[in-house]
Amino acid sequence: MSDASAVSSVPAAAPAVVIRRKGFARRYALAVAGAGILVFWMLAAVLAPLITPYPPDAVDLPNRLLPISTEHWFGTDALGRDVFTRVIFGARISLVVGFAVVMIAATIGTILGACAAFAGRWVEEALMRLTDLVLAFPPIILAMAIAAAMGIGVVNTAIAMLIVWWPKFARLSRSLVLVERSRDYVDAARASGFGPAYILFRQILPNTLGPMMVLITLDLGYAILAFAGLSFLGLGVVPPTAEWGAMVAEGRELVEQWWVATFPGFAILTVVMGFNFLGDGVRDWLDPYARSS
Amino acid sequence: MIQYLAGRLLITIVMALLATLVVFLVANTVPGDPVLAFLGDVAASNPAFVADFRAKWGLDLPLWDRYWIFLTGLFHGDLGQSIASQRAVMDDIVEYAPATVELSTIAFILSLMVGVPLGIAAAVWRDRLVDHVARVVSLIGVSAPTFWLAFIVLAVFYGQLGWAPGPGRIPSFAFPPDRVTGLMLVDTALAGDWELFHEAAAHLVLPAIVLASATLGLITRTTRAAMLDTLGRDYIRMARAKGLSRYVVIVTHAFSNAVIPVITLAGLAYGNLLTGAVMTETVFAWPGLGRYTFRAAVALDVPAIMAITLLVAIVYLVVNLLVDLSYALLDPRATRR
Amino acid sequence: MTDLPIDRRTLFGLAAAFGVASPYAAVRRAAAQSGRKGTLIIALDISDTTTLDPARVAQYSSPMTVHACYDSLITMEPGEYINVKPAVATEWGLTPDGKSMRFKIRQGIRFASGAPLTAEDVKFSLERIIHLKDQSQQYIAHVDRVEVIDPQTVDVVMNDPSQPLLTILAAPGFGITEKKVVEAHGGKGIPGAKDTDTATRWLDQNSAGSGPFRLVGWERNQQIQLARNPHHWAGEPGYQRIVIRHMSESAAQLLALRRGDVDVAFNLIPEQIATLGDSPDITVMRALSLDYLYMAVSEDAQNPALAKKAARQAIGYAIDYDGIIHSFVAGQAKRPASFLPIGVNGSTEEIAKQVGFRQDLDRARSLLKEAGLPDGFSFDLSFANAAIFGVSYQLIAQKLQADLARVGIKANLAPMDQVGMRTQFIQGKLQSCLTYWNPPAVENQLWASATVNRVAQRVHWTPPAEIKKLVDDASAERDLAKAAAMWTEYQRQMVDAAHLIILIQPVYQVGVRKTVQDMHLTAAGWMAEYAKARPA
Repeated sequence: MSDASAVSSVPAAAPAVVIRRKGFARRYALAVAGAGILVFWMLAAVLAPLITPYPPDAVDLPNRLLPISTEHWFGTDALGRDVFTRVIFGARISLVVGFAVVMIAATIGTILGACAAFAGRWVEEALMRLTDLVLAFPPIILAMAIAAAMGIGVVNTAIAMLIVWWPKFARLSRSLVLVERSRDYVDAARASGFGPAYILFRQILPNTLGPMMVLITLDLGYAILAFAGLSFLGLGVVPPTAEWGAMVAEGRELVEQWWVATFPGFAILTVVMGFNFLGDGVRDWLDPYARSS
Repeated sequence: MIQYLAGRLLITIVMALLATLVVFLVANTVPGDPVLAFLGDVAASNPAFVADFRAKWGLDLPLWDRYWIFLTGLFHGDLGQSIASQRAVMDDIVEYAPATVELSTIAFILSLMVGVPLGIAAAVWRDRLVDHVARVVSLIGVSAPTFWLAFIVLAVFYGQLGWAPGPGRIPSFAFPPDRVTGLMLVDTALAGDWELFHEAAAHLVLPAIVLASATLGLITRTTRAAMLDTLGRDYIRMARAKGLSRYVVIVTHAFSNAVIPVITLAGLAYGNLLTGAVMTETVFAWPGLGRYTFRAAVALDVPAIMAITLLVAIVYLVVNLLVDLSYALLDPRATRR
Repeated sequence: MTDLPIDRRTLFGLAAAFGVASPYAAVRRAAAQSGRKGTLIIALDISDTTTLDPARVAQYSSPMTVHACYDSLITMEPGEYINVKPAVATEWGLTPDGKSMRFKIRQGIRFASGAPLTAEDVKFSLERIIHLKDQSQQYIAHVDRVEVIDPQTVDVVMNDPSQPLLTILAAPGFGITEKKVVEAHGGKGIPGAKDTDTATRWLDQNSAGSGPFRLVGWERNQQIQLARNPHHWAGEPGYQRIVIRHMSESAAQLLALRRGDVDVAFNLIPEQIATLGDSPDITVMRALSLDYLYMAVSEDAQNPALAKKAARQAIGYAIDYDGIIHSFVAGQAKRPASFLPIGVNGSTEEIAKQVGFRQDLDRARSLLKEAGLPDGFSFDLSFANAAIFGVSYQLIAQKLQADLARVGIKANLAPMDQVGMRTQFIQGKLQSCLTYWNPPAVENQLWASATVNRVAQRVHWTPPAEIKKLVDDASAERDLAKAAAMWTEYQRQMVDAAHLIILIQPVYQVGVRKTVQDMHLTAAGWMAEYAKARPA
């Protein structure tokens, strides 16, 4: 689990003056780099069997803990399996779980937050207190309790993450909808006789998509980080599945055979950075007067 | 306002208790039995012995009775007895909390001392090298998995280079100072043991850096964002037009207005540091609450888990309350009509 | 620390005001005098230590400290686990009526306080264990009471003399405590002590023993401090101070050992030991342990294939034991035939080779055919998310999965949290699992009777009456050679039943800096002997 929470983006202020922008390439270099990293990993995940020289589960004890070589680009792990292959295959679990958890949590959270903001009064207050309760809960204890009660596995860990993940979307959604709710077009729509559901889902929510997209993009990285952390602790995947956090855990005592833990961790780093770069770029792009990063 | 505060405080307490109730219920649906795990093999297979042990720990009482005992105990400051360590949970927490507080505070100060100037510089020299460097540094800090970063930092700076001392709060050979606060820096200073003070400070460096890395990233980005926000405003241009030097403008006008969202974020970050340093503490053998939490969860030590949940919930909720208050005061759009 | 009505801070304030030394002051002075050289610093994971009261000790790491502070009547010397040796007692023998064991107490033993050790202390110590009714008491359930015959002689009166006694008494938990001191702090050696004894708190921070060292302080999950006992009967120890530093990460222990921050590291894993080979400052001490990692295979209704003995035996013949030992512990392990570790009476390497499982894929396949499962079968293999002896269960499980797949047996891996696994295993809910066994005392009867009683229940096995009688006879047999033959036959029958498959009996590998001399490892349960250790 990451030791820092992902805080929602600071809403951009209304500009006093338009700043002339620098060239696209210079402005968005990092975002493009981020997108490039992500495309690489997605391709790697899809094409994994084709681009890897060994099967990911091939136990080969005589060749255990070999250092980097031309046969094993990232060396071998404690069971003789090729680390490079397992790092590539690890992308599959990480990307899939990350997407699934964030998309589902975002959907649930956005809808709940938006409804609460629109309904107002005690409904909104109740939702805010509910999100408080969930966010106040130590996530590690929850994840371990769920694993102990329902068994260790990807699905159960994803459920534990979902429970903890939706509140931040609810809060952001709520604060965005609150801002929109006071705008003129909402009054106009109401005056024209449109029902609240229509106003909320067809008019308000689309206007909030911008910051939501930023949060989602950034959060994809953090979800992958959190899942890797839970796998590091022994929850998450069932062996022998290749997963980055679990691989770092297998190598954490192997100070002299550093490649076992270093490369999977580095993979996590690049993926999360990719999402961060991309998220920053999306934020910059969505806000044409952006002075905020 | 007072009513609002009182109301929120009351809700905070209720929420924290609710959190413990949830933990209690979840922990009791788990098939594991902490008693069996604690006893040796012979004793664990002896039903009479096990029943006796459970009775001693009050585990034979019905669910609601046990939770009621926990609640009533809270009013006496009694958080229950830890099954794994065989002593009062309060004693455990008092023993381990200062280590976490010390580490988190140092990490927090570090991230502020580096992050804020970096963020200001990044905003002032926007899109130049400083900005890009700041961006990459903060992104690496935020993106690197803590458990991996801790491993790398320890292996490189202690194992290979020997620049920093190893795991633990003080060297293996040293005698700890008489415990007054539990904070090593304070206690060694009070005891006048300056050599040990330096050792303790040296031992704080690596784990603080690891712990600070993520917070550093957030603080840098937020400071930069807030500064950019204020730098573009009219009153800044006014101040410059009046002939004030750039330095004065940045520090007095721009920063003092930018500092507000930074403070709110910093508050949240500090609360987070206090409650979530499990990975760092484990790798650096730091005897703090994070490691205690993990052990309690592994051992299914329900009283300890509940006490930790209560503590974490209170810290989180109080910090949030303070942040919400300041936010409500400063940003009228976010409050309800 | 001390159990006083005022809190520590006030105490220190008062003490400073009155010029009285604080609890650490005396030791600090000693430390200043002895310096780094006179201090032995040990890195050990002591997170499972919950008490240092000898009558209550039942964990893995605490016996080392307890043994350093207390002497027992009997002891075992490193490497010799069949014949017990004198310690506090110099001679012993059954009384003529056959109901008691009479021990003659050594002259001249002094406790750390300076007082002499007499029969009263022996009586008090053992009866306190009996009446506290904590975990240790179960091993001397057949002891009624202790009678003092004269100041140097005691009788341990038993209600069932056929049960083992001597090997049990060697365990550190049966160390002799100083009656006067323990009673002064609330200790009781009389019936009802279970509810009235309050000495444990004090004993967690201080010792009242005659061992080479005395306990000066214990900070939970941080360190244990021991200071030399100048009155020790076997001579003054070479070190003035021992500090046991808690380090749960073996990587941290390795780095600290290399840098000289610690002198001994107990929890290094085999991969790290391998890197110490060429170190000029560090040697690796080795001793065959009496612990082992094993696989329990159940025959319950959940999985009909496992109910067939031939199917279970097929598992036993399909495993690449040598590969496991060679790869995961760098060959530093042995493998007994069954539940008696190599080194005890009746269990040797030759016997293991003759009687135990070995990899024989053809035999495994023919056994599967015999069981009517020519295409193999599948079963669940549970294990805890943990490592033992530096080997992670997870790695072993994956290797077993790969091995068994070669004969068509499919093992579904089911990792669990430690508590859950232990619970389910004890309740007999697992099809199979990986777990370990470390002995509370070096006594064959403890292992054997466990296998045909409580462990048999866990794997849903009803042992034939014949094997139970064999266990009883072998336990009661005083002639070592005859007993050895019976134990060999017992192991043969256990292998045939194929419920418990032993995988690794590891060799303890401890990293020790060359500045430490005459430290000895032991497999008897307390890990190491420090009485004779001294700086080089």
